Amino acid sequence: MINDVSDRSGDVYLQVRNVTKKFGNFTALRDISLDVIEGEFVCFLGPSGCGKTTLLRAIAGLDIQTSGTVFQGGQEISSLPASERDFGIVFQSYALFPNLSVNDNVGYGLVNIRTSKSKIADRVSELLELVGLPEQGDKFPAQLSGGQQQRVALARALAMSPGLLLLDEPLSALDAKVRIHLRHEMKDLQRRLGVTTIMVTHDQEEALTMADRIVVMNDGVIEQVGTPEEIYRDPASAFVAEFVGTMNFLDASKEREGEIQLGDHRLSLNEQERIKLKEGRIFACIRPEDILVRGVDETTENSFETTVKDMEFLGSFWRATLHYGDAKTEINADFSINLVRDKSIQNGGRVRIALPANSIHIFPVGD
Amino acid sequence: MSDHAISSSPVKVIKPQLSRDDWIMRAFILGIGVWLVITLLFPLYAMLSKSFQNKDGLFIGLSNYVEYFSTPALFNSIENSFFISIVSTLITISLASVFAYVLARSTIPFKGVFKGIALLPLLAPSLLPGISFVYWFGRQGVLKSVLGDASIYGPIGIIMGEVFYTFPHALMILIAAFSIADGRLYEAADVLRTGRIRTFFTVTLPGIKYGLISAIFVVFTLVITDFGIPKVIGGQFNVLATDIYKQVIGQQNFEMGAVVSVVLLIPAIVAFGVDRFVQRKQVAMLTARAVPFEPKPNFWLNAGFFTYCSLIAILIIGVIGMAGYASFVTFWPYNLELSLKNYNFDIMDGGGWASFYNSLTMAAYTAVFGTIVIFTGAFMVEKAKGFGFVRGVIQFLCMIPMAVPGMVLGLAYIFFFNHPDNPLNFIYGTMPILVIVTIAHFYTVSHLTSMTALKQMDPEFETVSASLKVPFFRTFLRVTVPVCLPAILDISIYLFVNAMTTVSAVIFLYSSDTSLASIAALNMDDAGDVAPAAAMCMVIVATSATVRVFHLILSRGLQRTTQAWRKR
Repeated sequence: MINDVSDRSGDVYLQVRNVTKKFGNFTALRDISLDVIEGEFVCFLGPSGCGKTTLLRAIAGLDIQTSGTVFQGGQEISSLPASERDFGIVFQSYALFPNLSVNDNVGYGLVNIRTSKSKIADRVSELLELVGLPEQGDKFPAQLSGGQQQRVALARALAMSPGLLLLDEPLSALDAKVRIHLRHEMKDLQRRLGVTTIMVTHDQEEALTMADRIVVMNDGVIEQVGTPEEIYRDPASAFVAEFVGTMNFLDASKEREGEIQLGDHRLSLNEQERIKLKEGRIFACIRPEDILVRGVDETTENSFETTVKDMEFLGSFWRATLHYGDAKTEINADFSINLVRDKSIQNGGRVRIALPANSIHIFPVGD
Repeated sequence: MSDHAISSSPVKVIKPQLSRDDWIMRAFILGIGVWLVITLLFPLYAMLSKSFQNKDGLFIGLSNYVEYFSTPALFNSIENSFFISIVSTLITISLASVFAYVLARSTIPFKGVFKGIALLPLLAPSLLPGISFVYWFGRQGVLKSVLGDASIYGPIGIIMGEVFYTFPHALMILIAAFSIADGRLYEAADVLRTGRIRTFFTVTLPGIKYGLISAIFVVFTLVITDFGIPKVIGGQFNVLATDIYKQVIGQQNFEMGAVVSVVLLIPAIVAFGVDRFVQRKQVAMLTARAVPFEPKPNFWLNAGFFTYCSLIAILIIGVIGMAGYASFVTFWPYNLELSLKNYNFDIMDGGGWASFYNSLTMAAYTAVFGTIVIFTGAFMVEKAKGFGFVRGVIQFLCMIPMAVPGMVLGLAYIFFFNHPDNPLNFIYGTMPILVIVTIAHFYTVSHLTSMTALKQMDPEFETVSASLKVPFFRTFLRVTVPVCLPAILDISIYLFVNAMTTVSAVIFLYSSDTSLASIAALNMDDAGDVAPAAAMCMVIVATSATVRVFHLILSRGLQRTTQAWRKR
């Protein structure tokens, strides 16, 4: 699958074509093709073992693919060793040299290109300024917090002005609060520098907030490529639907053209989903927050009565478990605090809900 | 995509290009491989094939073995060796287990002092306890009457000496085993109202199981391969290690020496194999969540423990102290006046003070070159990419020295390096061959220490360097070596002390110009100059101790200067 980049401005900077990686009998990557545009922030998202790190390492030349090609800036780099490619990299472990000061860490690669000492010092302080750590240059990594260490690692990766910045789960080792803060900073920095960036993560929130485009991977293949909104609003497969965000998977079957049978209820679909409809069993999917209650009455399309089986308080909203039909099938719905108060929704009560046609996605069973 | 499409357009397999770093690393790996093959594999092969040859170098099948097993004087040594090894192992492990338990799990005072004393035997050549026991229990010994009619020259003396010599080795393994207790298990046992004895059998014993097994096999191997103690105090009681010496030096029967070597190699290899197997199982014993066990003080128990440790400490000091005292006595037992007469090595056989300076030189070269070769080798094997087969072979070769008794290695060197067709023949009888054999002899432990240190380094350091276009050797010198410096110092001190005290591997390889202190001690003892032999042993102990203290100061200083970046 090659993602369509025709509607995006800018040139393709990184081109991955038919990349397959095998470890013995195990196929870690299966015929992966992907384009990354200059200046873009792309996230590889997927569960552990899906191949996202393998793909990153193939792009970096750390574990070169079994077959397939990689082009960077128009040049083929498929078989080049890492040291002859143009990238900076940040790891989850930071991999800062513990016995070198922050200055020496950041300037580690600069020393090698025979620039004068004062120029190196200028560049290092400029970089530390950039990542928000001025005046920390004389400290050792162990004297910094995790978040600060990660910024140093970032400064070091950017020191040689690489064409490509690779981030391997860079925030996973940090506390939740620091992570959210650094997320914004890194995205902001990337936008300012305009450096093409690939980040590997298993954290969907991270991918959704930071990426220009997300590449969802599973089992060595790309499931979907798209903007965060596309991925969330319009998942291309049952896997993506389940992996990103929360989704109800409801057993249903085709009733007639454009309509499905859900328990005792008949639901209509929008144009896009109608085309996908085939005979037999299917999953009808809807996100809990897309389920409507306000303004729903007998005349509302796709609406039916349910029984509230359970209410779980999640702080800013309630997640309700609702039963419909023969009371064996359930559906989760997110209700705002206001809604629950206004409609006095409670355990055992009845509530009429609507599943808007535009929010329903269907997937074949067993996909 | 259909199968047809795949088969019609064959997938082009990418052949990764090698960077300059990859080439350099592979060259180093090959270098280390060649080094190990020449200093280890070829000599052992030469020895093995020698055991199937007659005096003229013709292949005669198993004839030598048939002769060996039909000569009771020879194969009786097998039984003797096993007897000595099993009894010594039982005693050492029993004594060391309690001592280790006290050091790791009790609250008695002066634990550091006790541990320091218990590790003292590591600084001495294995002849020292033999010589010391001669003064305690020998014909003119102070406590001869204690033994009654029994003679110290024989199994009793050997076993006592071996217990002294192997005690610290067992102790270190057992302390490590006792130290990794998970406090939560003891709390759980307490909460479930488990009695002390049941807790011991269900929690303590399973916890140290692997350490205990490992200690048993390490001690067994040390005893069965030891040469110094049975040589000094064994009398007419023959064991395998002394048989090799007698066959080779006494009777010039190299072929029979090779046969005995093979016979000795078998139990050593079996013990080594079991030990490796057990250690592999131990890896995941302690999870990161384990809570350290906090011993609770118990006055009467502590009093018992303290008495026990004091007794052991007194015995150890008694052994070393007697050798020290005897070395200053003018003429035992007739003139007990103290003098330095016995330290006048230059008027005795054995090489005089020159042999001591040789030992210093040899130990220094071994420490410097051995550390460089072994640590660099370990780095290449651990960090290189690809080349998996060669790296696997080298890993295996690095483990072999642990299983090869020093006597066997030394004899193997004669066969290989003294062969007239060997282009390396010229190093025979020189200082370099002593350094090389000593490095080979103590390779395994040093290699494992290096590997442990290297495995603690972030595996991505090399990746980061590559992305920054910094060649790997720069990162090796600027980051890896400084961070691993404590381990590197440990390796060099280990090599130095062992080079100072070793007898077995070098006994066949020294020449009149390159006699060593430990060999001089052995030869003086052989010639009846027991007091000067004791004196030479004390010189070795003093040197090893000085170097240890120096190492300690250096390590402390290092810790202070690097605490800024080591602190967590």
